Amino acid sequence: MNEASSVISVAGLRKSYGDVQAVNGIDFEVRPGEVFGLLGPNGAGKTTTIEILEGLNKADSGEIAVLGIDPQRNAAELKERIGVQLQTAALYPNLTVAELIDLFGSFYSKPRPTAELIKRFGLDERQIALTKELSGGQRQRLSVALAMVNDPELMFLDEPTTGLDPQARRALWEQIQELRGEGRTVVLTTHYMEEAEQLCDRVAVMDHGRILEIGTVNELVTRHFRERTIRFASRPELTDERLAPLAAVGRVAREVDETVLYTADVPATIGDLLRVSDELGLEGLDISVRRPTLEDVFLELTGRALRD
Amino acid sequence: MKRFTRGLLPLTVANIKSFYRDRASLFWTLAFPVIFVFLFGSLFSGNGPDTFSVGWVDDDRSPASAQLRESFGAVELLELTDASEEEALSQMRAGDLDAVVVVPAGLGGALQPGAPPAQPFQLIVYTDPSQSTSSNTVQQVVAQVVGGINQGLSGAPPALAVEPRPIQSDEISAAAYFVPSILAMALMQLGIFASIPLTAQREKQILKRLNATPLSRSTLVASNVLMRLLIALVQTVIIVGIGIVAFDVTIVGPMLIVAAFVVLGSMTFLAIGYVIASYARTEDTANALASVVQFPLMFLSGIFFPIAFMPDWLQPVAAVMPLTYLGDALRQTMVGGAAYVPLSVDFLVLAGWLIVSFLISARFFRWQ
Repeated sequence: MNEASSVISVAGLRKSYGDVQAVNGIDFEVRPGEVFGLLGPNGAGKTTTIEILEGLNKADSGEIAVLGIDPQRNAAELKERIGVQLQTAALYPNLTVAELIDLFGSFYSKPRPTAELIKRFGLDERQIALTKELSGGQRQRLSVALAMVNDPELMFLDEPTTGLDPQARRALWEQIQELRGEGRTVVLTTHYMEEAEQLCDRVAVMDHGRILEIGTVNELVTRHFRERTIRFASRPELTDERLAPLAAVGRVAREVDETVLYTADVPATIGDLLRVSDELGLEGLDISVRRPTLEDVFLELTGRALRD
Repeated sequence: MKRFTRGLLPLTVANIKSFYRDRASLFWTLAFPVIFVFLFGSLFSGNGPDTFSVGWVDDDRSPASAQLRESFGAVELLELTDASEEEALSQMRAGDLDAVVVVPAGLGGALQPGAPPAQPFQLIVYTDPSQSTSSNTVQQVVAQVVGGINQGLSGAPPALAVEPRPIQSDEISAAAYFVPSILAMALMQLGIFASIPLTAQREKQILKRLNATPLSRSTLVASNVLMRLLIALVQTVIIVGIGIVAFDVTIVGPMLIVAAFVVLGSMTFLAIGYVIASYARTEDTANALASVVQFPLMFLSGIFFPIAFMPDWLQPVAAVMPLTYLGDALRQTMVGGAAYVPLSVDFLVLAGWLIVSFLISARFFRWQ
């Protein structure tokens, strides 16, 4: 892929710390204007990967181009054009919000006005507060505001919503969607599936330093699960022997007090299921249909839940 | 160059704001030395003596010089001791005499009536300018006595004059000793304790976040040095100011050389602070290490008592401590204290520590 169609291209990237192979040969591309998610549990190698892309960390080997620049060779030039938010919000505790934005602006040749950033990230009422007095959500918003101070074309957000309450998380999601709306490319890491489904155009699933899958959320789900699940509260009359022959059912499973049918054709299976339950005189069968999520894909790929 | 200066001033201002909003650092760097000055001041400087001992050197040995001795002897403030010039000056250097008055040969001839001299006859008065009380008092007393004699010979042009000569005693006053010492201690702490915020900034990934901007590392270090030097200047003004106002210490040295040693000393100890931050992983370790480093420096480097008073086996330890040389240089240049080593050696030892510490931290300091 040439430079025009990829903002980031990585090939054969490796990095080890002593005996630990943190990144074990990964390849991927990030396209202009997309929100690209790196998913994986803690220790999967996400942070190491993006710190190498940001020019903060050296790779052992691999070809890397970020905005057409090799971060290993020309980090200073790259840093002028990217916005970075680190996993742990690194702030001066005894500076105010406005002072901190001013300070970071002074490091760049063309900073955005501080007042504009304060307004945009909803920090108006806290601009003379010391950063140590901010709430978790305000701190994360400030952290993203600092990453925006040089009006970057590419932004890296490392677990931007970790530790936030649901309301603060949704507020930050809106900010990130706005960034994409302005045509910026965003690379974010997360271990929240819902976040990736909401925000990311494409995701790469990482584990043990490798990328297991890359694609849109839909692609990943359909690639691994052609079937949907139909669930209902288990009834003694609906035995496995009665359910297995229903139209399009691939498998019958039991989860606590629920019965789960895996099907390639939801309407046909439901039609059959309702007919059988009518014949048995059963009423009020509480049926739900669920499409598998990234969570299921991850479970399928790694054998464990993402939050572990 | 443009890359170096960009962000330098704003970062320095931000560091200063962070510093003065942190009560703990304010206390240790500004209030603590001030408390020390007053503590030592009240411990060591009682009221000045009621009389001043003055060596009397009579090289004229005429009736006129004997009469002059009588006039001085009548002053209650002075206690005269006869001695040769050589004896008197060595006693003064040892701190046993406050001043020495020398009557050169030829006084008798100069005071002959009817033969007014073309020029007044010079009396030589040695005083120690670092002992401002005795120095000023003796000078004034001598001037009064001499003025009285000149008036007695009315009508004639003044026959006697005083030629003051400064001389430094080994034994400077307690206040003159501890003011430069406490300044040296404060500058040492300023540098050593810089390791704590530095380690905290690394631990909290502030250094890493700054590294993700185009800010260069040399700018980052330079702003830290600038900020510390500014605080060192404030410390110097406060401590020296208290010394002058509250304890009557006279600053003799050229201020430029004093300032040069303040800057050199601050940078040396700041570099040592960077070495500590190179080895400490957490803020707590840095805190512990800084204390471990500062205590031997404080008590084994002769800043609170002369090295000659230390047991013999400890003296070589003091001889390697950088604080020994900063204290020595500041005492020599500020109050004219006796030299432990020449100023050039003080300079070289401090510069040596600065260079070695700089190289160690340049090699081992971790940014993230």
